[in-house]
Amino acid sequence: MEVLDSRLKLIAGCMILSVFILIGGLYLCQVHQSDKYVRLAHSNRLRMIRFPAPRGEIFDRNGVPLAVNDNTFSIMGYPLDLNTPEKLQHLSKILMRHGIPFTVSDLEKTIKQQRLAPYRVMKIVPNLTMTQMAELVADYEFPHELFPLSVWRRTYPAGTTAANIIGYVGEISEGELKARSEEGYTGGDLIGKSGIERSYESVLRGAPGQEALEVDARGRKIRTLDANPAVKGEDIHLTIDMGAQKLAVELLKSWKGAIVAMDVHTGAVIALASSPVYDNNPLSWGVSGREWNAIMNDPERPMLNRAIAGVYPPASTFKAFMSIAALEEDAITQSTMISCRGGLRFGSHLFKCWKHSGHGSLNVIGGLQHSCDVFFYQTGLRTGIDDLIKWGRKFHLGEPTGIDLPGESGGNIAGPEWKMRRFKSAWAGGDTVNYSIGQGYMLMTPVQIAREYAAIANGGKMVTPHLCAKGYRKPENIGLNPGKLEIVRRGLEAVVSRGTGSRAGRFGVHVAGKTGTAQNSHGDDHALFAGYAPAEDPKYVAVAVIEGGKHGSSVAGPMVGQMLAHLLSH
Amino acid sequence: MQTFWASLKEDISLTDRLMLFCALMLSLWGVFCIYSAAAGTAGRGFDYAFRQAAWLFVSVIFMLLVMIVGHHKLLEGAYYLFGLSLLLLFLTLLAPKVNGAQSWLGVGGVRFQPSEFAKITIILTMSKFMSRYPPLDFKTFMMCLGVIMIPVLLVLIQPDAGSALVYLVISFGMLLAAGTPLKYLGGLAALGLSAIPVMFLFLLKDYQKNRILVFIDPMRDPLGAGYNVIQSRIAVGSGGMTGKGFMMGTQSKLKFLPEPHTDFIFSVFSEEFGFIGNVILIVLFAVLLCRVIMAGVRSKERRCKILVAGVASWLWFQMCESMGMSIGMLPITGLPLPFLSYGGSSLLATFIALGLVASIYIEGGNSRHVF
Repeated sequence: MEVLDSRLKLIAGCMILSVFILIGGLYLCQVHQSDKYVRLAHSNRLRMIRFPAPRGEIFDRNGVPLAVNDNTFSIMGYPLDLNTPEKLQHLSKILMRHGIPFTVSDLEKTIKQQRLAPYRVMKIVPNLTMTQMAELVADYEFPHELFPLSVWRRTYPAGTTAANIIGYVGEISEGELKARSEEGYTGGDLIGKSGIERSYESVLRGAPGQEALEVDARGRKIRTLDANPAVKGEDIHLTIDMGAQKLAVELLKSWKGAIVAMDVHTGAVIALASSPVYDNNPLSWGVSGREWNAIMNDPERPMLNRAIAGVYPPASTFKAFMSIAALEEDAITQSTMISCRGGLRFGSHLFKCWKHSGHGSLNVIGGLQHSCDVFFYQTGLRTGIDDLIKWGRKFHLGEPTGIDLPGESGGNIAGPEWKMRRFKSAWAGGDTVNYSIGQGYMLMTPVQIAREYAAIANGGKMVTPHLCAKGYRKPENIGLNPGKLEIVRRGLEAVVSRGTGSRAGRFGVHVAGKTGTAQNSHGDDHALFAGYAPAEDPKYVAVAVIEGGKHGSSVAGPMVGQMLAHLLSH
Repeated sequence: MQTFWASLKEDISLTDRLMLFCALMLSLWGVFCIYSAAAGTAGRGFDYAFRQAAWLFVSVIFMLLVMIVGHHKLLEGAYYLFGLSLLLLFLTLLAPKVNGAQSWLGVGGVRFQPSEFAKITIILTMSKFMSRYPPLDFKTFMMCLGVIMIPVLLVLIQPDAGSALVYLVISFGMLLAAGTPLKYLGGLAALGLSAIPVMFLFLLKDYQKNRILVFIDPMRDPLGAGYNVIQSRIAVGSGGMTGKGFMMGTQSKLKFLPEPHTDFIFSVFSEEFGFIGNVILIVLFAVLLCRVIMAGVRSKERRCKILVAGVASWLWFQMCESMGMSIGMLPITGLPLPFLSYGGSSLLATFIALGLVASIYIEGGNSRHVF
């Protein structure tokens, strides 16, 4: 034990000795050589300047530019150098002389933002053009403590036509800065806020550059000591075709709603329009709080991407799915005939068919062709809600499709479990009746409907809708019986060739599809149409959902017809 | 409940209050320093300082818990705790990388560094092991070395050379305290020193080699690896006798210092509080270290004497290394300065270790020893 105690004392002795050495070292550095270091700190001539990389550009499938970078300039400076009213007055005078409206109070407000760190460089005046900057620098009265910094400004040539796809960029927020603390962002960096700009942020961003400068006592650059150039982000080519996109936006012009067009085999989205539209250009350049609130509080909600986040009852477009589920579960066959007399009495309630005089006796093809509600009420009751939900899950209803855009909604598959959770009440037979014609609690997004119809068109494969090749996922085969699927497809052809959807077939291509009219408790009914073409060997699927469009057959059908005709002829 | 508070009160009255005072003073000073350091870079000084203060609160609670539970219970479970921390170290190898090294594990939103907690379990295990198998002959000496190499290798893979170095220093201090013949320790030291050139050529990554080369001559890469050394030395040196005052340091505020709230917290401190502040700081550290050793001298148990040597070596080494690198006396390793550097895991581990020492002190108090 004595050995141990003496060893402990030895350790303590060594520690005390090392502490004296440390104090000695500090004395040398802080007292003996202090003057030298004070001078070095005072005239620290190194400045590290970080400059952002130009973002990758975005193009459509034919190389049409959708997001590009413009070179603009910001006037940078140290708040320290602008700390008196005279200096601000002087700067404001020079800016005004060159037609840049910046009053003294504007400048004061800017500088106040960084009151706590006056020794750090900051942006004093943003968004100047090359000409403006050149004129300013040439002005002999321009304060030389200030210097220009070249900045890349994001511009969207397609503007409103593709804003819901491309999104916009903005200065990184406090929250994003925290969430991405390990990715090397700093305050003031641009970051994708929505759309492709956001979902492919890491691809588009590039790597910021750094420059080590030697500066004089006033912070002016003397020379560059070391530079690490910025690396431009990777360009992105979308699957979107701007011709088709323009047509879709044009078709939606006077309506609220969405149009989606997609390759049935790959899930490549060719057009994805949402109306009303917004312009993403001013958002990227920075809008005032008032303008921002005006956009966000607009009752028409232009920022809502209705194609992926608008949820609607699928209405009669759901009858294709119903037919598949019922045939697969052998609840009906091709020869099952059901008689429609204009309504179905279930319990104490009369569920009407849209055609009050009734359709007479129909099989599944006739049921689809005439969109007979009674046929599908009966079909739904025969199949049963549990099997309908089972098939709904196979078609991924109620789940986001995984499209490479942020903010997608999954809709609602509803069903007994959901109703119990949400309303604490049991699922009733009447709920199944309503469910069978796509009304009631079930909700889908336009892109979900497009994906469902793509699976019908391509023989039972669920594709992942995507706007960029990086978003492609191998389609998932859900195992549909080819013979039974063929029956449904014949029904969908009949809808357009001689049924409720005939107006979709007047554009010179062979379309198969289904109309839908969704009851809307807030106003006019929503009109829907989902279809694919050519019917015999489908290539494209298109879906139109028009809020308050009243009838799927008259409004949405022709839109889908025109979209498909355009896609097949280009 | 009554007895719980009574025993807590008794523990606090019996333990080494001078040691706890030093620890608290250092930690509180650290919180202010972090506020100042982070104000310059991230502009979020309050945020960091608040989180550090919250961690300090949690750490003190844990220290009191360790005091109540007592070092006996923890030594009993030492081998299990050791196994657990080896498992955690292994799991971190599977976790995503942060700053190029895998040293973090996340549990329910709280991230922590198992390498910090391993320091405690290494100390517990080695003190138990060495009092059972005193490293007095060559065979037991090699057995002790074998045990310590497991965690050392695990952190080396991360790669976290700094922690590996701390583990080795802790073990060396404990071997010394356990009465290992000096010729073995001398041999070990000689082996370690002669291994440096080998490691330099074959094992170290380029950035690590660079750190050592710029330690010898900072001007060989003034904008790269040498930049930190030069800027840190300017920060410390320009602090002068009395310092520039709280929140007035220009080196940290102008972003000349890298990682000012963690690795280079001492440079921030020195710039703002000067030589006088540094002397006070170092005296607080020295008193704390002496009291830690004192707890071991008072104790009548072998394993407790070895244990305090581990704690003291750990805190001593990180203090010297962190301060020494700030003035260019030692190469940069990126080890935190105990109590002052921002970081919850490090603070918590330090206070748990002090809880162990406090518990040993209480028990040793039955008979009087003079240091």
